[in-house]
Amino acid sequence: MRGTISRASLARCFGGAACAALLTVMIGHAPPKLNAQSNPAPSTIPDLAGIWDGTPRARPANNPDVPWAKAGQRLGKPLPDGTIGNENTPPTFPELNERALAYVKVFDEALSPKYDCQPATPPAIEYDPYNTEIVQWPDRVLFRYEKDDQLRTVWMNGRQPTVHDWGIQGFSVGRYEGNALLVETTHFLFDITGFDDYNYIPSSQEKKVNERYWREGNELKATITVEDPLFLKKPASFTTRWLPAPKGYKLQSFECDPETARLSVQYLPKRYK
Amino acid sequence: MNVGRWISVAASVMAAGLLARAVPVVAHHSSAEAYDARKKAEAQGTVTKVLLRNPHSFVFIETTDEKGQKIEWQVELVAWSQMFIQGWTKDMLTPGMVVKVVGIPSRAPGSHGITNAQFTRPDGSRIGPQGGREGRGGEPTGP
Repeated sequence: MRGTISRASLARCFGGAACAALLTVMIGHAPPKLNAQSNPAPSTIPDLAGIWDGTPRARPANNPDVPWAKAGQRLGKPLPDGTIGNENTPPTFPELNERALAYVKVFDEALSPKYDCQPATPPAIEYDPYNTEIVQWPDRVLFRYEKDDQLRTVWMNGRQPTVHDWGIQGFSVGRYEGNALLVETTHFLFDITGFDDYNYIPSSQEKKVNERYWREGNELKATITVEDPLFLKKPASFTTRWLPAPKGYKLQSFECDPETARLSVQYLPKRYK
Repeated sequence: MNVGRWISVAASVMAAGLLARAVPVVAHHSSAEAYDARKKAEAQGTVTKVLLRNPHSFVFIETTDEKGQKIEWQVELVAWSQMFIQGWTKDMLTPGMVVKVVGIPSRAPGSHGITNAQFTRPDGSRIGPQGGREGRGGEPTGP
């Protein structure tokens, strides 16, 4: 009897225009899930899973003009994306505001958090010359970095950051679009070398890093774009690549050692008393 | 060969563009702030300690100067995880070995750091590849 009544009621409801309108309004007022992507079409999900080689076998190692190069600095030299720089290669070096320039001017190398094993963060960690493993789960994508034993979680299920989600690696959300993985990371902590430790460029809690990952044949490619209105006049970006790690390769633990990490600070001429 | 015997120590300053050119580029930490690639440092003595660690490895060598003073040289190498890839093994440098090292010296006055180093045995044979804080690198070779 109960089932009969329910079916009848349901039939009346779905048969009525008023019910349809009500459903439309309800859907229209559902809380927005900006990054939720519950059932992306399989064809739009690129296969990024695996261990990717970011060592000099794949791309030039980081240094003062890699990946952030001024005009002409990489002329005739390999670029982060595996191509060779030419006259038309655009500069990637950021336009720094006065605040950033002031930080650069007074910076003391001994202050670098790296000498105490503080891990690299985006956009530097993506370009350290080590291997990275990507794991794609339905609700998240995991980036395991050999460098500094770091793990970044990219939430694909609409999860949004709370006031408790500030952290050194920030908070990442993502979605698939056009055969690419798009990642947006916010909620970073201030980092005195958080943009680039070779050029002493800091990053603020307003840093936002957008990453786009896609496959080109056997290569993994990514464009990393950084916004930070407290230090950059406009967003800066670079494109890079990884190659498949040798077959059977497993990520090595880094286990940063504070003793040897700080040992070489004694070799720096003292800038401040 | 006595432990700690000082065969020759020379921390010589020379316009050594040769060494600077030999420095490959692989690193997370730039060495330019800490080391002077325009100079050359050379030491020979006995290995007292080997720290194969990340982010950088160190080899300690005890020498004695012309006044009989003991000097501890600290040779900085790239991360152990990268040395391993380059072909280093843990038994290639061990305490008690007598070695010679040639590299570039640290900048701070009174410090005894060396990097971008090549180790050799007393007979001149090489120990491991040349490397240092900035490791051994190279341009990408492609897939």
